[in-house]
Amino acid sequence: MPPRYYHDTGDRHLIDLIPSSPTDLYVSDEDETFYAKEDGAYITTNRVPRRIQRHIPIYLFLLLTLWVSWRTILGPRYAAHRQLIKEMDTVPQSQYGANMRPEFKDMIMVQKLDTKLLPQEHHRLVFVGDVHGCIDELKALLEQVDFREGKDHLVLLGDIISKGPDSPGVVSFAKKIGASCVRGNHEDKVLLSIAEMEARHEPLPGPNEDPSRSVDNLDEESFSQGDYKTRKLAKQFSKGEIEWLRTLPVILHIGQVNGVGDMVAVHAGLVPGVPLDRQDPFQVMNMRTINLKTRMPSETRDHTPWEQFWNHQQKKQKKSDRTTVVYGHDRKRGLSIEKYSKGLDSGCVSGGRLTAMVIDKDGKEKFVHVKCKGYVD
Amino acid sequence: MRFRLLNLNVVILALSQIAHAIPAPRARDDSFENLRGLTRLQIDRSGKEGDPPDKYFHESVFHPHYDGRFANKVQSYNSRIHALTHLIRTYLSFTHSIGAETWIMHGSLLGWYWNRRIMPWDSDVDVQVSERSIQFLADYYNMTVHTFNVPSFSEEGNGEVDGNGEREGELESRNYMLEINPHWTNPSVEDTLNVIDARWIDLSTGLFIDITTLRRERTAEKEGLQGTMMCKDKHHYKADDVFPLRDSVFEGMPVKVPYAYGSLLEEEYGIDCLTNTLYEGHRFDPEALAWKRVTDHESPRTSPGWYPDRGRKPSRFRQSTKKPGLKDEGHAVPGSSLSF
Repeated sequence: MPPRYYHDTGDRHLIDLIPSSPTDLYVSDEDETFYAKEDGAYITTNRVPRRIQRHIPIYLFLLLTLWVSWRTILGPRYAAHRQLIKEMDTVPQSQYGANMRPEFKDMIMVQKLDTKLLPQEHHRLVFVGDVHGCIDELKALLEQVDFREGKDHLVLLGDIISKGPDSPGVVSFAKKIGASCVRGNHEDKVLLSIAEMEARHEPLPGPNEDPSRSVDNLDEESFSQGDYKTRKLAKQFSKGEIEWLRTLPVILHIGQVNGVGDMVAVHAGLVPGVPLDRQDPFQVMNMRTINLKTRMPSETRDHTPWEQFWNHQQKKQKKSDRTTVVYGHDRKRGLSIEKYSKGLDSGCVSGGRLTAMVIDKDGKEKFVHVKCKGYVD
Repeated sequence: MRFRLLNLNVVILALSQIAHAIPAPRARDDSFENLRGLTRLQIDRSGKEGDPPDKYFHESVFHPHYDGRFANKVQSYNSRIHALTHLIRTYLSFTHSIGAETWIMHGSLLGWYWNRRIMPWDSDVDVQVSERSIQFLADYYNMTVHTFNVPSFSEEGNGEVDGNGEREGELESRNYMLEINPHWTNPSVEDTLNVIDARWIDLSTGLFIDITTLRRERTAEKEGLQGTMMCKDKHHYKADDVFPLRDSVFEGMPVKVPYAYGSLLEEEYGIDCLTNTLYEGHRFDPEALAWKRVTDHESPRTSPGWYPDRGRKPSRFRQSTKKPGLKDEGHAVPGSSLSF
């Protein structure tokens, strides 16, 4: 029989020696009684719970992080954002568009799209950004969107020529399928060069031209400086293609599209608050940003992206007065889709993609891309 | 109506250039004696006396934008606008008819941008020509006098006179002379006395157009930098900003303007120049699309203020310090040191 180890005899079991009252031992330091002392005095100096005391460094660290990030990143960003909104909402005393709009020979400013071409049952609108002579990619893209000639209507957003492999090919193809197109900065430059050449009959030979050609004309000085590439390109087009290029408007007013509202196609951008026929054509073909202080557009990237200002201003208008702009031109920013601006230049010629925006009868937009080979850097 | 009149009026009367019997092809002196019969003055009021001997064009003793061989006083505000308007119209008509390539620049380009007219406070007109053109003009048209019929001007605002002080239907003939600075062949910017390559001078008022040649920057080309151009007045341009030229209209006449007109103007006059509607005591009225005088001063405006930077450092390298703004009438200094 094993020995029995009874420490304290009597009729009590050992277990009974262990105090049973939880108030004695398992008292929480969050409990008032924890601080009670026998004589009834309370310790008032150290009443922060220990659990919290332990976590204080962590809290402090978090606070510090928050403060530092506010001071260095979030705060300035918020201030900049508020400043931007304020600037976008302030109407400057004198601003862009007060002048008489610059007008030029052989340049159509605004053209209205035939309402028959607007999206309806079985008829879609297809917008395509800067093609730059990439005829294979354009054809592949149209195949991908299941483009049906005579039913769907193609709207090209300018810069369909130069840089890429086959500019005349794109022009004759666009002409053949009855596409609309706006005048981009490259079309503009080529057309001006053609006008100069026609006025002069015989331009000076450039580095890529036959040097034996006779040079006899007065004032071709601008050509000797001129862009030989542009001139070389200009010579590739047939008379009919040049005529077609000349008819391209700077602004194509698409009109009211079911489910979308008013739509406009341009190559680069528009300044909000200025009527279409008061926009500066050079800027419509070249702008990237807007100086909010003067509302003056600029081809540089020094100011606020024009589409940001455009969207901000549209949201302040009545729904029926809002306009959606479809544009290209800015390959660096790439595809840029916002509510009231659709930037479709996704850098096809430099090996990016060629993008189509398809608008169906309900105004629903669909984006389709094809990969491009890349012909320039 | 106005434009039809204009086309009728600026008809070249004598295109046959009266090649004056000044035989020497070399740098002849534009001496007062040689101009007898062309000028009404008896006394030369040009600043030739006080100018260095190498300086070809002499501004008058009374104002830098008048030719003292042909005038001895400044024109009134309205008369000056009338004279400058027809100065540019006749110049454009002449250059167009002989096929010399020219385009507007500086203050004239800014005037074109705002409403396709000269700016009423400007006291000269600025154009540029290509090197080929100046060669051609120098070879065949130097010192030629051209007679045009222009609408008569009246200071009085009676019934037959329109807003510009032009008498309805009345024409008068005016002579204009093309004078080439023989130093045009020297492309160096060191030649600071002769930064203006040619002038188109209104012989009845002494007002003129400054013609400068846009040249290839050959020193930069030697260093491998292509596509930059310059004038002797030290303005530098990217060839791509100027060419290809655009066809537009200025003062009712076909005109060429540089390709990137906006950037050129912003570079020269600051970003505000294309939006600021208050300049030199004039406010742009967006309804009438015209500059209107804010305060009505009867005295001829002699403020030279528009080109505070002409002939100095190229504007490209400075930021917009030159926005003229609204100038106090009292500070206008006639004939101040702004001559070139």
